Parts: sequence; C-alpha cells; structure tokens
Amino acid sequence: MDSFIEFFSFTDPNIRYVVIGSILLTASSAIVGSFTFLKKKALVGDAVAHAVLPGVCLSFLIYGEKNPFVLIIGAFLTGWLSLILIDYISAKSKIKEDTAIGLILSVFFGIGIFMLTIIQKSGNAAQTGLDQFLFGKAASLVGQDLIAFAVIAVILISAVIFLFKEFTILAFDEDYASTLGLPVRAIELVLTTLTVLAVVVGIQAVGVVLMAAMLITPAAAARFWTEKIQVMVLLAAIFGAFSGLSGAYISYIAPSMPTGPWIVIVVSTIAFISFFMAPRRGIVYRMRNQRKIKKQINDENILKALYHLGEEEKNYFEKRTIEEILQKRVFHPASLKIGLKRLKRQGYIHNSNGYWYFSKAGRDKGQRVVKLHRLWELYLTEYLRIAPDHVHDDADTIEHILTPELEARLEKLLDYPTVDPHSSEIPYR
Amino acid sequence: MIHQAEDPVLEIHDLTVSYDRKPVLWDIDLTLPKGQLIGIVGPNGAGKSTLIKSIMDLIPNSSGYIKLFDQPLKDVRGKISYVPQRESVDWDFPASVMDVVLMGRYGKLGLFKRPRKADKEVALDALRKVGMEAYTNRQISQLSGGQQQRVFIARALAQQADLYFMDEPFSGVDAATEKAIITLLREMSAKGKTVVVVHHDLQSVTQYFDWLILLNMRLVASGPTSEVFNKDLLQETYGGKLTLLSDVGDLIRRERFPSREQTAKTKK
Repeated sequence: MDSFIEFFSFTDPNIRYVVIGSILLTASSAIVGSFTFLKKKALVGDAVAHAVLPGVCLSFLIYGEKNPFVLIIGAFLTGWLSLILIDYISAKSKIKEDTAIGLILSVFFGIGIFMLTIIQKSGNAAQTGLDQFLFGKAASLVGQDLIAFAVIAVILISAVIFLFKEFTILAFDEDYASTLGLPVRAIELVLTTLTVLAVVVGIQAVGVVLMAAMLITPAAAARFWTEKIQVMVLLAAIFGAFSGLSGAYISYIAPSMPTGPWIVIVVSTIAFISFFMAPRRGIVYRMRNQRKIKKQINDENILKALYHLGEEEKNYFEKRTIEEILQKRVFHPASLKIGLKRLKRQGYIHNSNGYWYFSKAGRDKGQRVVKLHRLWELYLTEYLRIAPDHVHDDADTIEHILTPELEARLEKLLDYPTVDPHSSEIPYR
Repeated sequence: MIHQAEDPVLEIHDLTVSYDRKPVLWDIDLTLPKGQLIGIVGPNGAGKSTLIKSIMDLIPNSSGYIKLFDQPLKDVRGKISYVPQRESVDWDFPASVMDVVLMGRYGKLGLFKRPRKADKEVALDALRKVGMEAYTNRQISQLSGGQQQRVFIARALAQQADLYFMDEPFSGVDAATEKAIITLLREMSAKGKTVVVVHHDLQSVTQYFDWLILLNMRLVASGPTSEVFNKDLLQETYGGKLTLLSDVGDLIRRERFPSREQTAKTKK
C-alpha cells in the first residue's frame, strides 16, 4: 500500500517521468491506431513493430550508445522500409498482402534478433537495457527519453487533430476521397508515417513483440461503446493511457517484470469487459435481449392459448386450470407457471383458487396475437403463394414481432379480411 | 451505331482499360451530350463500372484519353461527382448519416478545415432531396440497403456538381425508392445537369433514359435511346460473348505482355 501512495503522489521526479512517458506513449499510439483499426490494417502495425528492431540495433552499432533520438531515427528508417516493401511486394508480385506482411515481419525481426545477440555478446557496457526493446520497460524511462517522446506525442496528436476529417474519409471510402480531388496518396503517407512513429515510441514501454496490441486493442475496445468516431478515438486514448499508467506502476513495484505484457494484459482486460458489457454491441446486452424476447414469446403464447380456449366456448373470461391450458398448447410447466405469475403481475390475467382467467386487457392482448397470426397466414398464402398447410409455423414467430404500424399496413393490404386460410375467424376489436 | 454529341460534356478517345494487364475495355470512343439522363447497359462483366471508374481516374487506362468539359479530370473535379457501388464500403463504420453526406463537401473545403454551417445546410438540403431528412442523425450501420443508397446519392448531391456518375444506384432498392430516385434524376437533368447511370434492368431503360450506352467489353452503341434500344443492338450486346476477345486478354495477362507497344512513352 505504501508503494501505491508513494507512486501515485508523484513526488519522486523519476516516477513522474515514467508515468508521463508511459501515458504519452500508450495514448498517442492508441489514437493513431484507431485509424489503423478502422482501415482494417491491424497486421501492418504488427509488421512495423517487429521491423523497427533491426533499426534500433543498427543505430546502436553505429553510434555506440543508447541515445533515444538516434535509436528512434534508426527504428523509424527500418519501420518505414518494411512498409514500402510490403506495398511493393503486394503490388508487383502475385504474393497477396497477408503473405507479404508475414514475410517482411519475420525477416526483419529475425535480422533484429540476430543483431541484438551480436551486441549482447560484444561486451559493450552501454548495451545493457537494449533487450528491453523486446518486451518493454516503462520504469527505465529517463528525462532525456521523455523529451523525445513528448515531442513525438505532440506531433502525433496534433497531426491527427488537423487531419481528422481526411483520415476519417480515407478509412471509410478511399476511392470517393480520391474522386473529390483530395491528395489521397499524401494523406496515406502521413498516416503511415504517424503509425511508424507511434510504434517507434511505443516499443519503449511495451516492446516490439506486443506493440501491435497497443495500436489496435484500445480502438477495438472503444468501438464497442460508441458510434461516433470522435468519441471512439478519445476513448481509445483513455483506455491506452490507463493501461500505460498501470504498466508504469507495475514496472515500479516489480522492477524485474517486463512492462509490455502487463500493459497488454490491462488493455486486453478492458477490451474483454467491453466485449461483454458494452450496450447494444456487448454480449451481455445481447443475451439479456434474447432472454427478454423469449419471455415475451412465452407470455404471448399463454395469452393466445387462453384466447383459443375462450374462442371454443365463446366465453373469454371463463376460469381455466393449468391442465386446460396445457391441453391447448405444449408449455414447459415451469415456464408456464412463471409466465402466468408474470402476466398476473402485469394485470393481464387474474387468479382465484388456482384458476386463471383473463382481465379485459389480457383478452385484448391475446386477441391481438391471434389476429396477427391469422393475418400473417393469410398474407403468406395470398402474396407469397405458400400452401395453407405450411404457413402456421412461420406465423407462430412473426405474430410476436409485428409492430402496430405493420399491423395496420397488413390489415389495409389484405383489405380487413374476416377469415384466415383455415377459415378461422380473424378477430377485430 | 455510335452517335456523337455536339458540344459534349464527356469525350472518351480510344480508351483501353486493363486489370492486371488483361484488357477489360477495348478501344472505347464516345461522346456524351449535356443535360441528359444517360444509361450504361450491358451484361455482367461488360466493364460498366470499369468505364466510370476509369473516367474518375480510379483505375489507370492503358491507352487513350478522357476529357470532361473539354478538360482533363484534375482541372474540373469540382464539377464532377461520383456515386460508388453501395457494397464498396463497410457500413459498420462509426459515422452518422450527416457525417457521410458532409463528406461531399470535403473537396470544396480543402485540407484541415472543418465543415461550416453553410456546408451543413447544403448537406441537409441534399438529404431532403432524397427524402432522408428524418435520418440525419441516424447511425449508418442501422440503415437499410435503400437508405444507404440514398445517403450515397445525397453525398454526391452535396458536391453541387454538373456531371454525375452513379454506379448501380438502383441495386438493392425497393420499387418506391427507385421511382423517387429516378424522379430526382429527371429533375436534375431538366436543370441542365448530366447524369450517367450504370443500370441493370432492361425493362425500364426506355422509360428512364434519354441517351443509352450499350457496352460489352467494347462499345456496341451510344446514342439517343429511341435509336439505340433495338433488338439487333441488344442481341449484339447480350448475345454471344466475344470469347476470342476474352481469350486474347487472358493471354496478354498470362504472358505479362504490355497492352500497348509503347504505353510508357506515349503517356504524357
């Protein structure tokens, strides 16, 4: 707990560096990654992330020490080169883009690891910590790094703000953007450059191997919560920043831990929560919705059975036993009982001494379901020319979904018919 | 049967277009008149979409040139508008109807600038014309096929162009919407706008179009509908695929042959 307070009071300047640095890195890569995600280019980010490793090593070999600016330049160059090669291979050869990405990713990463091994074996004392580019280490950020990252983060964020509408139209409909006369190639070039930059700074915190997650996962999680692109990008930045902050904290309390995996675990957890809990798009919402529909169908079927019973005896308000209802229609006994109780609560039916009977509202509702069922049967036979003995099952489903508006249209279209294809009366109120 | 238009809005000269070196349109020569509703008709794979895509410079041509209002496309972009096929984009994109229609203003706005109030009014007006004003703030992922199509048309209208190219604006659209759209296009051509439409349904051709282009890998006919829409020319367009032509095209692709001896040199 002490370490928690110590960390989040931000009194130690080192902690401040680490926290600000991590947040800048993760948030800015999440912002740029939002467009990579919308353009469906998730794998490209992964390729770039792996391709920066040889650049980092090469700069170190040439320059001889770990200067962030020099390392960034090297990383930028090889990251860029990988993208050009991917484009060139998929445009000029029979190899498709996914294969080209796979090829470039592994070749560059292989060379990177090879060079890293040489550096580590060379005995150069300055090389310690270079392997942190593999899995990231937020806690190793120092003041000098911070300046470099802050500069890049500012470039990234302001470029996105200025070119927001251009990036959006490019992600949605690139061909159309080009017919408008927008400089599509140039905008694409800027976006690619930003992606490479985001990767280059991001690997310091997350590492080469897991960088793609930092680009894509926050955006994927944010997409669940909103239909507005501005909100989506903002949410992605917040998710990214939060995971960056947690990564920095973990890196602080457990110095032997690589930061990257932790940041990725945090952001993936956010994505999982979004996947399940988000309104409309989330799984829990959809399941609840399904359950609601099931209940509605069950209850309306009970009302329909009661109505059918009433129809036979021309007495809709007669008291019925559960056995009578079950003879009319097969229900799971438990869901019948639950449904009856629910309908009673809602005021559609009454109960006295174990007998169930319609209220006025319940009779009307049951009548409507029966009417919709028969209208739909008639529609199917008249307009779709389906045989009368094949329409029942279809109508059994459709009767529950038709809205009053569609009901009115059906009535009008069929000219207020009085009987269905089986000569049963269509009841009107 | 190729009629030339006087003072044409579009002139295509000796246009050949290839995909992966295989020519899909051979030596097209045609001119189109101003202020008319023009249909492009032909079987599947005839190159109808390819033709308008190459006019919009979305795919490179292997030979020939295209002039719009007697100028190359890049000088007159502001006067020309394009409606892509509805299926060409992912409609599950975080944007509202208004956002998409406003894109029609981006060409005039220029880089970095945000849409102004005036742009929003133009967009709203375009939505009104296609009968979608009630859906202004609706998410595009919730639209039906016909509504998506109308949003695309509204986006093109928001460009306030003089010449429109529409790729299958009636696909996936119900009869009532189709009627509303064609009425709108008629009004536009009455106001002197030229509208070129890729179309599938031969039934409605005479009713819809003033001018007709019959296409099947090469230009079969281009001219006033009354003169071009006849049995012989339709037979030529739809009957019997030109298998020889298509085989030669395949050969060009297989052998990695250039589709013109001197493509690189003649291009300016």
